[in-house]
Amino acid sequence: MDDLRAITRDVDINATKISARRVQVHYGDTHAIKNVDVDIKERTVTAFIGPSGCGKSTFLRCINRMNDTIDICRVQGDIRIDSDDIYDRKVDPVQLRARVGMVFQKPNPFPKSIYDNVAYGPKIHGLARSKADMDEIVERSLRRGAIWDEVKDRLHAPGTGLSGGQQQRLCIARAVATDPEVLLMDEPCSALDPIATAQVEELIDTLREKYTVVIVTHSMQQAARVSQKTAFFHLGSLVEYSDTDEIFTNPKDRRTESYISGRIG
Amino acid sequence: MTTLAFAILLMASLAGYALNRRAATGIRDGGARLHSVSNYHGLYALLLMLVPVIVVILIWLVLQGPVVNAMVMSALPAGTMDGLDTGQVDLILAEIRSISGGRIFGKPDPWKLAAAEHLADLRQLAALSLVLLTALLCLAIMCFARQKVTAEFRARQAVERIISGLMIFCSVVAIFTTVGIVTSLAFETYEFLRLVPLSEFLFGLNWEPQIPIRADQIAAAGAFGWIPVILGTIVITLVAIVIAVPIGLLSAIYLFEFAPKRIRAVAKPLLEILAGVPTVVYGFFAILVVAPAIRSFGASMGISVAPNTALAAGSVMGIMLVPFISSFADDALSAVPRAMRDGALALGATRAEMVLNVLFPAAIPGIVGGALLAVSRAIGETMIVVMAAGLMANLTLNPLESVTTVTVQIVTLLIGDTSFDNPKTLAAFALGMMLFLVTLVINIFALRIVRKYREAYD
Repeated sequence: MDDLRAITRDVDINATKISARRVQVHYGDTHAIKNVDVDIKERTVTAFIGPSGCGKSTFLRCINRMNDTIDICRVQGDIRIDSDDIYDRKVDPVQLRARVGMVFQKPNPFPKSIYDNVAYGPKIHGLARSKADMDEIVERSLRRGAIWDEVKDRLHAPGTGLSGGQQQRLCIARAVATDPEVLLMDEPCSALDPIATAQVEELIDTLREKYTVVIVTHSMQQAARVSQKTAFFHLGSLVEYSDTDEIFTNPKDRRTESYISGRIG
Repeated sequence: MTTLAFAILLMASLAGYALNRRAATGIRDGGARLHSVSNYHGLYALLLMLVPVIVVILIWLVLQGPVVNAMVMSALPAGTMDGLDTGQVDLILAEIRSISGGRIFGKPDPWKLAAAEHLADLRQLAALSLVLLTALLCLAIMCFARQKVTAEFRARQAVERIISGLMIFCSVVAIFTTVGIVTSLAFETYEFLRLVPLSEFLFGLNWEPQIPIRADQIAAAGAFGWIPVILGTIVITLVAIVIAVPIGLLSAIYLFEFAPKRIRAVAKPLLEILAGVPTVVYGFFAILVVAPAIRSFGASMGISVAPNTALAAGSVMGIMLVPFISSFADDALSAVPRAMRDGALALGATRAEMVLNVLFPAAIPGIVGGALLAVSRAIGETMIVVMAAGLMANLTLNPLESVTTVTVQIVTLLIGDTSFDNPKTLAAFALGMMLFLVTLVINIFALRIVRKYREAYD
């Protein structure tokens, strides 16, 4: 508990990176997110927990405007990253997604080589001036994804040939290759075995040094292990948002307590 | 009489069903626990009768004609058939049959009248024995099935075995039909190759399928080199594919990824209507609209264009293939997991970049498989080219000239009075055989690619 508190103190010094106010999301007739206000701190791992269908993934997808790709989805309210409104008309969602990387539930490497997987983002955004530049970006990203040592000898083998855990770390490397400020992770370990999960969790902890990480997870142990801040969602509302140790040891809301002790969900 | 046989079978199987069902119900009411519900006992009797007896009746009907004919011919007075070839024998048989059918022309020989009477008797006998055989078989099977009904009898499994037997029979019919088609083609092709050497057919550069009518006719010998014909097919197919693949593919991508829901709801069924247009109507379109348009456009550019160009036939055929290609492409694109699209979009790719860099490479094996199947359809397509392509076998690759195709030649060779002992008619079968082989190879190739792609994401 003592070191958890040490982390918490760190966090409070950090500035707010993402600030959401009165966010509403409708899927057709379903009201998926109701009036969510949240401030996510810079260089922190923030976990979103809650029962299935509570809207945590939907909210996550608002932050890089992935919900725009779904026809029937409507997002209202105000989300700012570094005080820029990301739903402003001037903002290009394509550019935004280079700033806000995303990792998905199932590892989804493209059916291309490992190198091309990582190089894809930098290539479409024109981040590399030369081949050498690109090589450097790929190596740096793979190192950040903690997978460089495993794949450095077979960069041109297909990414789909890796194991599940390696694929997921490759996807993380792919996401950091565009040099984002925020990394969104949608249940990144739910398709992985315990060993691969431990590796990815360790990686998430190191990613905190450079990135603001938001992770959706079904596992409360995982939230407790990797995050400094935790937000509990229930039926589309943000019920409680606080330091992780606070949520798990001393929840303020009755619903949070029931969920953590396993009664709802 | 055949109808009577079927009626007996139907009645008997229904009776067997009722009999077995009642027997089984009786056992159950007696307090025993049945392995199968009584309905299955009834079905067992029904199917046990229906399936084998129908097969027996069908086989009987197929064999009856030839056997009766052979018996009639062998009963003719000795020496009648000496020195006659098959055609004349067939003629005599036909005459006997028409006499027995009551159509008598002139004054037939008395031995023919006797034979006709014999034929009528034999037919009567055959029909009668069919009915008798059916009745006997039904009775035997009914008794057998009835005696099977016990509490322990596993009627459910027995019914399943009979049904699987029925399915095997049906697949065998399909396979044997294919084998039959190929064999008949192969037989006629062999006949053709006895008259025209294989090397001349495969490598000859001239296609003039005619035969001399008189012995002293000038320039009457035909030439049977299939190269110009297959070249015409290739030119038209190429034109069709060049038009169909881009249009089909891009429209599929648009409808799949970009089109708003409302446009997709209208455009997709419209595209599928194209697939339902009869090819004969496409043929009209090619002759009445496309060919004159190409011709007048060529004239305005100062190029002379044949009235029935490969371009006109090919482009209309391409339009016909558009829905085919686009539905294949649509399947291939929707088989790419959503996660793959999300992955690319989340990296900041635009939709077009995502389609081009991620969806398309992932879907390409399926698209190629579809395109190859379209090629084999284009090669085998007949009606459009019969109407819109030429008849002259020109050795050319220029789509603005008139060419002919394999299918057009087959049709023209077999139209009108034909006799099956000269190369002109038999050439149609040789061409058909080659067409069959070419499309077979392409289909195998395409299916292999499609199968490979199926494994990609499992």
